[in-house]
Amino acid sequence: MQPSDIAGTDAAGAHAHRLSTATAGTPRAVLGQPLISCAGAGRTFGARGRPVVALYDTTCTIVADDRIAITGPSGSGKSTLLHLLAGLEEPTVGTVTWPALDRRPHDPGHVGLVFQAPTLIPSLTVAENVRLPLLLAGHTTATATARAAAALDLLQLEPLGLDLPQQLSGGQAQRVVIARVLASQPLAILADEPTSQLDRATADHVMDVLLQAADEAGAALVVATHDQSVAGRMAQNWPISDGRLLADEPVPSLTRPRPTAFGLDDWRTGS
Amino acid sequence: MTRLWLAGLLRRQPMRIVGAAIGVAVAVALLASLGAFLAHAKASMTARAIDSVAVDWQVQVGSGADPAAVAKLVAGLPSVQGSRTVGFADVSGFSASTAGTTQTTGAGVVLGVPDGYAALFPGEIRTLAGSGSGVLLAQQTAANLHAAPGTKVTISKAGLPPTTFTVDGVVDLPQANSLFQKVGAPPGAQPSAPPDNVLLLPSRQYRSFVAPLAKNRPDLAYTQVHAKVTHALPADPAAAYTAVTGAAHNLEAASTGAATVGDNLAAALDAARGDAAYAQILFLFLGLPGAVLAGLLTATVSAASAERRRREQALLRVRGSSQRQLLRLVGSEAALIGAIGCGIGLGAATALGAIAFGSPSFGATARSAVLWAGLAVIAGLTITVAAILLPARRDVKEHTVAADMEQVVTHRSPGWSRYGIDIAALATGFVVFWAVGRGGYQLVLAPEGVPAISVSYWALAAPALLWAGAALVIWRLVDLLLRHGRRPLGRLLHPIGGDTATLVGSSISRLRRPLVRAAVLLTLAIAFAISTATFNATYAAQAEADAQLTNGADVTVTESPGSAASPSYARTLATIPGVAAVEPVQHRFAYVGSDLQDLYGVNPTSIRSATALQDSYFQLGGTAAQLMHTLDLRPDSILVSAETVKDYQLTLGDLINLRLVDGRTHQQITVPFHYVGVVAEFPTAPKDSFFVANARYVAHRTGSDAVGAFLIDTGGHNVATVADRVRNVVGQGAAVTDIAAVRGTVGSSLTAVDLAGLTRVELSFALVLAAASSGLVLGLGMAARRRSLAIMRALGAQRRHLSTVVVGEAGVVGVAGAIGGVALGVLLANVLVKVLTGVFDPPPSQIAVPWSYLGALAILTAACLVVVSAGTLRVATRNLLGVIRRF
Repeated sequence: MQPSDIAGTDAAGAHAHRLSTATAGTPRAVLGQPLISCAGAGRTFGARGRPVVALYDTTCTIVADDRIAITGPSGSGKSTLLHLLAGLEEPTVGTVTWPALDRRPHDPGHVGLVFQAPTLIPSLTVAENVRLPLLLAGHTTATATARAAAALDLLQLEPLGLDLPQQLSGGQAQRVVIARVLASQPLAILADEPTSQLDRATADHVMDVLLQAADEAGAALVVATHDQSVAGRMAQNWPISDGRLLADEPVPSLTRPRPTAFGLDDWRTGS
Repeated sequence: MTRLWLAGLLRRQPMRIVGAAIGVAVAVALLASLGAFLAHAKASMTARAIDSVAVDWQVQVGSGADPAAVAKLVAGLPSVQGSRTVGFADVSGFSASTAGTTQTTGAGVVLGVPDGYAALFPGEIRTLAGSGSGVLLAQQTAANLHAAPGTKVTISKAGLPPTTFTVDGVVDLPQANSLFQKVGAPPGAQPSAPPDNVLLLPSRQYRSFVAPLAKNRPDLAYTQVHAKVTHALPADPAAAYTAVTGAAHNLEAASTGAATVGDNLAAALDAARGDAAYAQILFLFLGLPGAVLAGLLTATVSAASAERRRREQALLRVRGSSQRQLLRLVGSEAALIGAIGCGIGLGAATALGAIAFGSPSFGATARSAVLWAGLAVIAGLTITVAAILLPARRDVKEHTVAADMEQVVTHRSPGWSRYGIDIAALATGFVVFWAVGRGGYQLVLAPEGVPAISVSYWALAAPALLWAGAALVIWRLVDLLLRHGRRPLGRLLHPIGGDTATLVGSSISRLRRPLVRAAVLLTLAIAFAISTATFNATYAAQAEADAQLTNGADVTVTESPGSAASPSYARTLATIPGVAAVEPVQHRFAYVGSDLQDLYGVNPTSIRSATALQDSYFQLGGTAAQLMHTLDLRPDSILVSAETVKDYQLTLGDLINLRLVDGRTHQQITVPFHYVGVVAEFPTAPKDSFFVANARYVAHRTGSDAVGAFLIDTGGHNVATVADRVRNVVGQGAAVTDIAAVRGTVGSSLTAVDLAGLTRVELSFALVLAAASSGLVLGLGMAARRRSLAIMRALGAQRRHLSTVVVGEAGVVGVAGAIGGVALGVLLANVLVKVLTGVFDPPPSQIAVPWSYLGALAILTAACLVVVSAGTLRVATRNLLGVIRRF
């Protein structure tokens, strides 16, 4: 089966109303419209003498409201695929395009990125970290402050606003990263092993928040993970092995119900 | 395991090892180079002291002893390379008839000089006119008698008929003070000045001349054996002094009282011992701050990798490594850094020694080379232990795995700040400086004839405390400014970063600890460079002033004794290509009471066009300009030496009657002057007492405007070439000397120190330290922030946003470092010049500022900041993923 066969399904019509909350001026995707398209994209690392193919020619499409897990063991190429989708790496063969975006994907407001380790700037407070991408995008300080406060409030992180990242637990830090993504209201959220450094309970909570954030932003969510319980919470599972994207695997059932609200007081203090 | 660990470090993190090793290497190289300077300087002083002596020993034959036996005893000593017997006879006076007038002098001395004396002791007699052998008249006597070669001079002897000789030549006796010393008398009992009137006779004529005198008045004639001893002496002046003194005492003991040694060589080495002690102080003042700075840099470089080292230790502990194993790994890393650093440092010092001093060794002898190399290595290893081993050991002993995985930054003020140690150090430094100043900054006391030298190392405390106190105060101030200045900083950066500048200001404020450390290091490096360069420039300027004082100007034409050159000849000299200005200066001899002194008649309105007059040359009455103005306004004004003021109890405005020779009658006449100021130094004047007066007034009162010397200014260009041209014009009638030739021969033995070499070494190190402080330290800080910049880039930051961070941090370090460095550098330069006053001859009236070097320092520092900032921006967008994922 060719990867193009596993193009994202339209399974999130319920989120269509949330797109109306998009910031004025930020282009929003229409349901079913491709956000990211890979056409025979592959990536080879290493010197000429000893090339290592991380990802063979891959063709796939991400559309708005997709919930996709890219799964596979370590070194299978899932992170490479995610980085190509995010535009953080250039494919050595084929192309990756972002039809719904008018700029590069990592320009603010387009693609939100969540990495394995928290990517907070240690010398900025939680609130400042959340505010930063908005200011980089050209928003005024007042707008950025208001949207950052709303995002933190939504994830119930407002009391931590003046804390420095070093004062947070790993779970709290990842939640702040997700708040930062949420504040930017991206079209797609790409998460690379976002829970691999967390214990099970914290990981589940972070996934709750991530899904909630994607719902709030009306964004597609793509998570690269080797954790089947994480993958099980996504609508689609794209297994990958030895750099080759395999057939879409059916998702038997969600291993945990999607949270209905951000009322997660028991996570307030983190793990 | 240790080998595997070290191999891994070298392969995977070479900069961690190399960076720290370079810091150690800088300290080792600086200390070894300065050690080489010190050893070289001491050897140079010894050689200089030896060269300055014309006659090493003047062995006085005791009354009743056999001169031949003493001469044989001296000649037989293994250390004696040659000796001659010289006769001395005190006479009542000299007289000569010239141009129809007869001149008579007071008492004088006749010397009996054997054949070959001038060849064996070339520095004792200098021919000025006529023959270099035969009957020779001393320059001053010739001036008094108006005598020249061919003049008949009559010698009056006590109770005996006079004897007449025809003068063959006029000579100068450059070392008359030692030649006419009272051998065996203590310093206080020595004559205050050599005899004014001296005639030298060949031995044969002397014997027949002195025979009747010795018979009638044996107390008026005596004999000395002058000896040249071996100069194969220890390089250290103190050791050489001990060796020479011991040999002289040995001779006196062997002669059983028949001989007393006037040890001129030991006296010269005695003076050099004090200068050697000053050289040692120079080493401490100028070298130690650089070494301490290199140590601080090493600590900073090491601290940059401390976080990674802690993580490695945490990982190893998790995997079961014991504390002992961790300590062994830390120790092996420190040993590797120390070994590489010491090796590179000694290699660099060897190369620097070859370039700066012409010798690849660290000292004048193998022993001193080993000693200095060893001391430098010990210092390097101490820095390694203090900067790398102890912090890493503390981490192993005190940190837990959990703590190592955290990055808790406390902004609690350091202990010294809470207790005000910085303020206290600064205040104490000023108090010590004041206290040392009360003692006249006498750092070295080398009592004549006493083997022990006293060095006031206490004086070191003043600049040391000021250095440390000011550095900590600057730390406190920069920390304070950054803590409370996030908003102003944000506003300053707003033009670059827009609204993100506020966040950058906050970030810089929270990251102030490493930035303050970098700013203080840059402050210390700039201060080190400024203070060292300024001190060296002032030293060089004063050495140049010393050379100009001795020579008079760039080129000096000294007329022969008895000649009567007219001031109008200056116009002829002024036409020579390369001559910028010519100034005639009268040179007369004047009696004040019974004391004969030199008198210089100058044109006060134009003297400064040909030679520099520093304010420090004058001690009372005003500045150089004011006193020349006074001489011009009141022509009978006169400047007098401090010794004369003291001897004659003069107060400003007093009338002084001097006796000068009238040019028309050749008789002494009384000329009244008014004392208006004290002069300590003057171009071409001797070190002892002299007068400076208005040339027009002197010419008017004496009826002669004869010029003693023409001072020629060349603007400092092509001095030797201009001197050659002048020689061609003036011919054999006058002596032409130039400052280039004089530079190498004047001054104290400390001036003989190869300061050019020291300057090159120190200023090079100062630049390296400034570059390392600005570039390396900021670069390390930026490297630590690379992940933050990568995160910003991944969040959509554009180049201008990243520039805001980089410019902000570089600006804080650069501006704070520059302001603090200039302030501290100027303070330290002034303190150093004051505290080390004894080094300067003459003392400086103002500090010389080496603008070109300071310009180069500013450009280099700014360039390092710009290069590091540009490099940081360049790499900030590379390998984003790799940097972001690094944890």
